[in-house]
Amino acid sequence: MSPDSLGTLDGFLRLVRDDLGLVTDLAGPEAAECDLPDLPGWDSVNLLRLVTLLEQESGRAMPVGRILEARTLGEIYALVEDLR
Amino acid sequence: MTTPKPTTGLDRLRGLQARGLLEKDHPTVAALLADEALTDTDLLRAGRLLANLDHDAVLTHHPGTPVVTVAVTGQSTVGRILDPLRAELARHGLLLRATVGEHGTYVRDLTQPQGSYDLTLCLLDAETVFCEVPVPWRAADAERAATEVLRRLAGLAGGFTGLLVLNTVPLLRRYTHQLVDHGSRAELGIVWREFNAGLLRLAAAHPAVVVIDLDPLIAEGGPAADPRMAAYAKEQLAAPLLAAYAREVGHLARSLCGRTRKALVLDLDNTLWDGILGEDGPEGIAAAGTLRGEAYGGFQKVVKQLGSQGVLLAVSSKNDERPVLEVLRGHPDMALRERDFVSVEAGWRPKDGALARIARRLGIGADALVFADDSPAEREQVRLGLPEVAVVPLDDEPALHVTRLLRDGWFDTLTLTREDRARTGRYREEGERRALRERAGSHEDFLRELRVGVELGPPRPHEYARLAQLTQRTNQFNLTGLRLRQHELAAVPLLLAARSTDRFGDNGLVGAVAGRYADDGLHLDNLWLSCRVLARGIEQACLSALLAYARERGLPAVYAGFRPTRANARARDFYPSLGFAETGHGGTEGEAVIFRHDLGVIPAIPGHVRIDATQLGSGKDGG
Repeated sequence: MSPDSLGTLDGFLRLVRDDLGLVTDLAGPEAAECDLPDLPGWDSVNLLRLVTLLEQESGRAMPVGRILEARTLGEIYALVEDLR
Repeated sequence: MTTPKPTTGLDRLRGLQARGLLEKDHPTVAALLADEALTDTDLLRAGRLLANLDHDAVLTHHPGTPVVTVAVTGQSTVGRILDPLRAELARHGLLLRATVGEHGTYVRDLTQPQGSYDLTLCLLDAETVFCEVPVPWRAADAERAATEVLRRLAGLAGGFTGLLVLNTVPLLRRYTHQLVDHGSRAELGIVWREFNAGLLRLAAAHPAVVVIDLDPLIAEGGPAADPRMAAYAKEQLAAPLLAAYAREVGHLARSLCGRTRKALVLDLDNTLWDGILGEDGPEGIAAAGTLRGEAYGGFQKVVKQLGSQGVLLAVSSKNDERPVLEVLRGHPDMALRERDFVSVEAGWRPKDGALARIARRLGIGADALVFADDSPAEREQVRLGLPEVAVVPLDDEPALHVTRLLRDGWFDTLTLTREDRARTGRYREEGERRALRERAGSHEDFLRELRVGVELGPPRPHEYARLAQLTQRTNQFNLTGLRLRQHELAAVPLLLAARSTDRFGDNGLVGAVAGRYADDGLHLDNLWLSCRVLARGIEQACLSALLAYARERGLPAVYAGFRPTRANARARDFYPSLGFAETGHGGTEGEAVIFRHDLGVIPAIPGHVRIDATQLGSGKDGG
């Protein structure tokens, strides 16, 4: 993964797809607005995995509580953007 | 632009998935995951990817693939265990079929009918105890709660039918430092250690319980918990700790499936000692006395420790054999000696072939071998040539050799028997004999170098059971087919036991003679010799000694009989080869051949055999 993979929404979605093993072509606003449980292949542990993944990629501590409360990938991306 | 990275095992795994070949090509998954370039995170990604594996399709393509069924439960959220667990089992060629309980439900999960899980993982954490401690609290409150949890687990363990895996529980600073005085903190420390010791004792008390000690895993790299995950997701054990735990469970599952490795094959130069023997000479290599040398010496001691527990040790080295053996026999630095190895392959041929020869010689599969080498090229050659071998990557940092060797618990087993501890000796002797036979120019050279010793004399009291077993099991060199049970042995007038040794070890009781003294001479009713030691001159030596003894005593002759059986045809000429003459037939249907030796010319005891002691007795009149 390149260092700037979190720099764009598409990069973020690609990271989510590849590293969480979601079997879908996640791209664009549609995927970002989709309710998390409706994402194909989503399971309850994915949010926890995602936190770990985002911290590894960004090298920064994530607001865990907020991420766990997020309903869509778009909301999570917004939280990541706030940290930049 | 990013420079293209070399393709890793994970990339190839993703490729298989993209092309829909994961199921069909499943047997290659383990090899892809053995890629040295994979990081711990890559392994998690692989575990994630394998969650989509269609087990039924794998089993259709490869019906022999072992499936390990695992129930996971615990006080906290434990779902995160699945990715690493799936990956760890895949590394060993195993499929994971798992169910995960909800957090806090372990008591219910463990008391319900357990179905037929191979493993039940009950993940314990500090909250398992502290959720039962009031606020405010003292160490004594923690003690009461810990005692209660332990009592509950002991009850669950007692009624358990599958294999229950528990773990010791890390004590966290967030609890110790709620107590502000050192005395109370020490008290809590004691309570906690006793709780963990009590957990470990459950394994000793219940054969169905295994306790994985988390302390050594945390010591390798904490933290034990992530307070944010604990607070928000009820995940009390940190993800990296769960991954390390999953690795241990993988070793356990492997041993349950009978896939415990049996032999460790080691390179020499820069693996067991510092330096290159062929270039630096024996004076230039070190496994003691220098900083780096001592690190290699430490590694040798750990290898020796594994060897003492039944792990067969062998060498595969690109070196001339003679200098290698000289170092293993005489170099002052070596903790490991020639005798510690069941096989030493020193030569210049490719190592995959050397490993295959070692496996063949030991009578085990290549999938029972672990190979450790500091050279990436040699490791790659073995990986390609003999993919079922587990490869341990070492490098030029000898201080890390031990960590790397032990990282994967390749030899982990549930229990260790006395038989296991004795295994190395038995294999080594057999391997050494075979190696000597291969080295020796001729069979005569082999026998001479084997230095066989034979002791022939009356059985000792403890040997009757073994003697009876010998007569019952021996077929090829059982000259009349006679078999005796233990209580029948006492009625044999002249009963002799043959014990043999050679330069590699003690073979124990290997042969027997049944006979009687009569007026016309000594009658040999039967001879038995274990096929383990056939064709080493032992049978000739025993008989020559008997003939010499008979002549010394002034007996007129020695008589013997041969009765053909299904298996003893090759022994038909044994008596004639020693100067016996055929005199007729006997037995109820004349099927037995009777021989007589006139004691004129006594055959010499074969030069390579040493008769240690002979007390040939004379039946009832003693002497």
